[in-house]
Amino acid sequence: MSGTSTLDQAQGLQPLGLGDDAIITCAAALTLNAPGIHITGMNSALQRPPMVSAEAKVLLNAVGFVPSWRPSWGKVRTFGLTFPAGIELIPVKPEEPGQEDASALKRIAPEKPTKEEVDGETAKRTKIRPPQDALSVQDRLFFLLQPPLENWLKGQELIMPFEPFQYQYEGIGWLFSQKAALLADEMGLGKTMQMITALRLLLRAGQVRRVLLVCPKPLIPNWQREFKMWAEEIPVTTVEGDGHRRNITWRMPGAHVLLANYEVVVRDYQTMIAEAIKNGHNLRDGLGRRTEVECQTFIDGEPVGQTFLSAQGDQQADKNVCPTGLSQPEAPCPLPQFDLVVLDEAQRTKNRDSLTARTIRSIPRRRSVCLTGTPIENRPEEMSSLFEFMGVIPPGANPDIRQLSQLSKEFILRRTKDLVMTDLPPRLDRDEIIELSTAQRVAYDAAEKEGIMKLNEMGDELSIQNVFELVLRLKQISNYDPLTQESSKLERLQADMEEIAASGGKAILFSQWTKTIDWLEQRMRPYGCLVYHGGIPTPKREPILTKFKNDPDSHIILMSYGTGAVGLNLQFAGYVFLYDRWWNPAVEDQAINRAHRIGCKSQVIVSKFICKDTIEERIDKVLNEKRDMFRRVLGEGDNTNASLSLSAGEIFGLFNMKARTPKGNKSIRPAAPAKDAA
Amino acid sequence: MAQAAPKAQLGFLGVVNVAGTGFVGGLLVTNQLGRPLEFQCTTPVKPNRTQEILYGPTLTSFVCAELIGKTLFERLQVKPQLIVCDQLEMLALRSVISLPVALILPKSAKAEEGTIRAGAHQLRLHADFVGDLEVLTEIAKSFPGDADLIEPLERVREALQETLRAGAAA
Repeated sequence: MSGTSTLDQAQGLQPLGLGDDAIITCAAALTLNAPGIHITGMNSALQRPPMVSAEAKVLLNAVGFVPSWRPSWGKVRTFGLTFPAGIELIPVKPEEPGQEDASALKRIAPEKPTKEEVDGETAKRTKIRPPQDALSVQDRLFFLLQPPLENWLKGQELIMPFEPFQYQYEGIGWLFSQKAALLADEMGLGKTMQMITALRLLLRAGQVRRVLLVCPKPLIPNWQREFKMWAEEIPVTTVEGDGHRRNITWRMPGAHVLLANYEVVVRDYQTMIAEAIKNGHNLRDGLGRRTEVECQTFIDGEPVGQTFLSAQGDQQADKNVCPTGLSQPEAPCPLPQFDLVVLDEAQRTKNRDSLTARTIRSIPRRRSVCLTGTPIENRPEEMSSLFEFMGVIPPGANPDIRQLSQLSKEFILRRTKDLVMTDLPPRLDRDEIIELSTAQRVAYDAAEKEGIMKLNEMGDELSIQNVFELVLRLKQISNYDPLTQESSKLERLQADMEEIAASGGKAILFSQWTKTIDWLEQRMRPYGCLVYHGGIPTPKREPILTKFKNDPDSHIILMSYGTGAVGLNLQFAGYVFLYDRWWNPAVEDQAINRAHRIGCKSQVIVSKFICKDTIEERIDKVLNEKRDMFRRVLGEGDNTNASLSLSAGEIFGLFNMKARTPKGNKSIRPAAPAKDAA
Repeated sequence: MAQAAPKAQLGFLGVVNVAGTGFVGGLLVTNQLGRPLEFQCTTPVKPNRTQEILYGPTLTSFVCAELIGKTLFERLQVKPQLIVCDQLEMLALRSVISLPVALILPKSAKAEEGTIRAGAHQLRLHADFVGDLEVLTEIAKSFPGDADLIEPLERVREALQETLRAGAAA
């Protein structure tokens, strides 16, 4: 303010703090001393300090703002979720050192600290990702807030006998999050271990409380053993024994994991479904969808007839509807219900109209998981049956190839050894082309000539069964001549076994026929031969495998494809012989992968015996062509799985014949020239 | 085989400041092994201009600790025994709740008075609450030696991003 400034400079006065109005009044009086003012007698008076007084004046208007401010924040809104309490399982006491059988097994990863830990770097973490069908924030947060699997499994809360591989962590996390899943890893990559570990996590996280695991009968001991190794704290109850005992087991409270074979499941559920329908329950499929429920009648354990019972109409739907398990607790269900049903070797249900597939789909459940190394054995459409069980397609739907491919991306996880097991010792396949012995050749040629002649004479009565019988006959002669007992394959096998036994190695031999296996057993005795096929009672099977593993004098085990091809861990064997060939390379691969799997420490040599200029050579060519053709179905990286067994047309084609159809002959597949065959 | 360690419940508090949206906080309660028990998070809190001017440099601490942290703590059904954070401003939460609040120090931090080793980390407590050190010492016995206390905070932040994405999509 200019007035105040002039006052300060001229008079050396300080502002009085009386307010602007007072100062301005005072300043106006003092400016009379400025130059240019007339000097009169009043000048001395003017030089006297003015008399200043101050008084408070009330402002005419109130101030327009609040002189104080109180911090005021709106209410903070929150959102939250509580995680369900999991099942508390009692940890198992550690066994004495050296007592644990697993100590003899090979660790799949060293126990020592990882490089990242040594270097102080952040170790790799596998986060559980929300599934695509988790739409609500709560659902997504549930998965996002789970700890990384490495933290969860590193030995604090869950004991892992071996450190899983990275791809296994990913598989475990995927199984944990999916309500519908098909784990289709190639054989030998640890599907069993991934499933068991995912089960542990699901039980701990309170996501499942009751689980049914269905597998082929020969694999029951295998699952029991794997559970003991990977999740000893989880009590596993096997559904077995007579009907009364099984009935109690099905409904036993507190049994977290039930283990049953397909035959038992079909038989018992059929019985229970029949009772439920008799009692007026309106059945749906196991996921609560309306569908036709099939009931087969058993008398004394034998199936005697089938009845198809349709679900009743909507008007009764809410009264006695069954099942779908936990989603409809108000509807008491007479069938045992599960939070999760796991199908091992799920290709057993590939025929969606089979009694097995229909019955399996009727099991009340919330989550469905399939395990198989061969999701397609014959036709891509086989996946439809698995997808229907998983609940990702409606009952009876027939998705086309494009739709199947889309569904596969979301619901199938498949890894091959080529992609993930870069450090797995190689599998060396060699086709052993063997000349028939003289006696075999004579017998073979005579049988073929006679057989074809008979087939031609049959005319329109010729069936695939007739041709099939001839094929089997010729394959058997290729194995050995029944008349003279001569066998070129045996000579080759004996030569190889001399070397294998001398070096302390172990070999697995697969054959299609138990008769051949029994014939070979006598001749393989010098090599500590053991036999494992469907004729061996189940209780005796495990001791045979244990002996083969532990007895240094036991160098070879003879197995049938049907019993020995699936689920067994024989990675200590470095040699596999396919004495005769199965119709489907996928089954052969399963057999080979008993030895070539995680834990094998050296290369696996696979010898496929093929007799030259015989039906075996022709079948091998056809199968190789088909293997190439179907390599595309499950992706470029898949070089072992997709394959077809021989169709009727192709079996006729082995003899340059045409398949018969009701409307006449129809050439399904012309015989390929030898030079075109793969 | 796992040792029978005493059980503890830990709270992990994280707040993110999203430009244009505001502060969003999350509090995750886990057991001593990192398994989640409860999660609470806030909707965005956006200070206005007046609040920014008047709170000045204390704004972040006030919003994170007294506003968001305290609210989340009060909402919890599963009460933790310790709140862990990795932002200095959060330590002020200790003044408004009756629970120790521990700040995770950087890996380069050396052990000094007022800090304690827990799991793989050095923790600092609020200087005004000397009794917390004793409480934390007791709780830290339940931690595995290599317990990673940073990782749950990463989960919290990932969950907050998810809620923000869901909020934006809604």
